[in-house]
Amino acid sequence: MHLPDGFLAPQLALALWVATAAIVGFALRRLSASSDEASAAQRPILMGIVGAFIFAAQLFNFPVAAGTSGHLLGGVLAGYLLGPWAGTIVMTTVIGIQALIFQDGGLLALGANIFNMGIIGTLGGALVARSIATALGGSRVATIAAAGVAGWLSVMAGAGVTTLQLGLSGTTDVSIGLPAMLGIHALIGIGEGLITIAALTFIATTAPDLLTLGAPTRASATRRILVGSGISLLVAALAALFASADPDGLQRVALTLGFHTAANTPPFELFPGYTIPGIDSATGTLLIAVVGVGIIFTAILLLSRIAARRGRQ
Amino acid sequence: MARVPGQVDARATVIAALAFILAVALMPAGAYVAMAAAWLLVATAGALRGIAPLTLARRGGIVFPFVLAALPLIFIRSDEVIWEGLVGPFSLHVSGVGLRIALSALLKAWISVQASIVLVATADAPTIVVALRRMRLPDAIATSAGLTIRYLELLRDEAQRMLRARAARSVSPVGVGGERVGGSIAWRARTTGNLVGSLFLRAYARAARVEEAALSRGATGSLSTGSLPTADRYLGVKVVAAVTLLLALSAFGQVVPRL
Repeated sequence: MHLPDGFLAPQLALALWVATAAIVGFALRRLSASSDEASAAQRPILMGIVGAFIFAAQLFNFPVAAGTSGHLLGGVLAGYLLGPWAGTIVMTTVIGIQALIFQDGGLLALGANIFNMGIIGTLGGALVARSIATALGGSRVATIAAAGVAGWLSVMAGAGVTTLQLGLSGTTDVSIGLPAMLGIHALIGIGEGLITIAALTFIATTAPDLLTLGAPTRASATRRILVGSGISLLVAALAALFASADPDGLQRVALTLGFHTAANTPPFELFPGYTIPGIDSATGTLLIAVVGVGIIFTAILLLSRIAARRGRQ
Repeated sequence: MARVPGQVDARATVIAALAFILAVALMPAGAYVAMAAAWLLVATAGALRGIAPLTLARRGGIVFPFVLAALPLIFIRSDEVIWEGLVGPFSLHVSGVGLRIALSALLKAWISVQASIVLVATADAPTIVVALRRMRLPDAIATSAGLTIRYLELLRDEAQRMLRARAARSVSPVGVGGERVGGSIAWRARTTGNLVGSLFLRAYARAARVEEAALSRGATGSLSTGSLPTADRYLGVKVVAAVTLLLALSAFGQVVPRL
C-alpha cells in the first residue's frame, strides 16, 4: 500500500524519512564494504535491471479469494535474489521511482513507504527468512519455505505498520483500520508467499547457481536480537513521541457502532485493557502493541537460535 | 509558450515540488482557503506546462480511494456531532471533527499528487535522476534508478507478453463469461511464480550481457548520466525565494480562518 501525501502527519513523515535515510545509508555502507567480485554489490547493472524486473513482476497477479487478488510486491524475493542489503537498495529505488515518476505514493510520504515496504519488507523480511531457514535446518526446501513465510509476514507487517502510522497521524481509527487492513492483507500476503515460493523454486531448479547470491550466511543471533530490539525501540520511541505531541489526534473514543459491542469481551486477555473500547487513549494500546511486537520478534529470534543449536547436535 | 522539458533546472523543480508538498502537509485540518490557494498555485504551474487544470484535477483523482482509511473517523469521533440517527439497526452519528480530518487529508493528498504530476511533466525521469544525483543522492541508488528507468518498459513488455500467453492457454484468472478457470490456488500461484522466475532469469541474462558489454567498453561501475540539460546559475537564489513563498503559504494556512 503506497501512502499518498496528506494522510501522514508531517512530523511523522519527516521522522520516517530520517529513519529511512539512516538505514538505507547503512545498507549502502554494507554494500560498498563487500569485496566479493560475484556479489550483487559489485554489480550495479544487475541491480538496476533487477529493479526493472521487480516493477514488471508486480504485474503478475491471480485471484486468491473473492475480490482479493494475490500479487507480488517482491520485497523478500529481491532480498533473496540479491542479498538483503542490495535487495533493500533495489526496493528503495523501485519505490522511489514509483513515487517520483508514476505518482504511486507521495513524495513526503516516500520515507514512510520505503520504510514500510523496502526496509520492513525487504531487509526485515530477508533477515526473518534467514532466521526461519536456519531454524528449519537450512536445506534448500527450508530456505524456500522460509522465504514464503517471510513474504506473507512482510505484507502483514507493512500493512500493520502503515495503519499504525495513519493512526498516529490521526487520519484513521486503529481499532477499525488495523483489523480491516490485516484481514485483507492476510489474503494478499498468501499470494505474495506462494508466488515467492514458486518463483524461487523455479529459479533454484533452472539456474541453481544464481540462488547462492542470497544464501543464508551465519550472522550471530545476539546481533540479530540487538538489531531487532533496536528497531522495536525506535518504533516505540516514535510512537511515544507522537502520542505525546498530538494527544488530540490519538484520542480514542468509545465506539458507537452497535456491532462493535460484540468485540468488548475477547476470549482471553494478554494485556488487560487491550480491548477495543475499554480505554480512553490509544497511546497505551499502541505502546503495548509495539512492545508486544518487540517481544514476539525477540522470542522468534531466540527460539530460532535454540532450534538451530538443537538441530546441529 | 509551453517550455519543453529540461529548459528549467530540474533541481529547482524537485525542490519546489518537495517544498510545496511540505507546505501543504503543514496546513491544519479545515484550512480550506489556504488549500484552495495552494491548488491555484499548482494549477498555475500546470497550466504553464500546458496541462489544463481540469485534466490535472482529474489525474489527481488517483488518490481518492485512500479516503477509505479516514472514513471511520467520521463516524467514530464523538466530538462536534453534526448529525445523529438510526441507519438500519445501527445508531450512527457524524462527527464534524472527523469529517474535517478526512476531507482535509483527501484534499492535501489530491493537491500534492498534482504537484508530482506537474513535476514529471516539467522534467523527464532521467533528468530528475541526474538532478537528484547532483543533490547528493548516493551513486549506487542513482545508477540503479537510472538503469531501472531505462529497462522498465522493456521488461514490462516482456511481462505483458507472458501474461498474454498465460491467458491464451486458459490459465487466465477469470474466463470470458466471468467463470473462474484454472486449478487450485496453489496451482495458480505456481503458474504465476514460474512466470516470475522465468522473467527473472531473462532479466538476469540481459544484465549479464549488458555487464559484459559495459566492461568491454571500460565501464567503472557507475552509470554516466551526463550533465543537467540546463544548469541555473541563480538556482540558490530562486530556491530560497520559492521556499520562502511556500513557507508563507503554510503560515497563511495557520492563520486563515478554518471551517
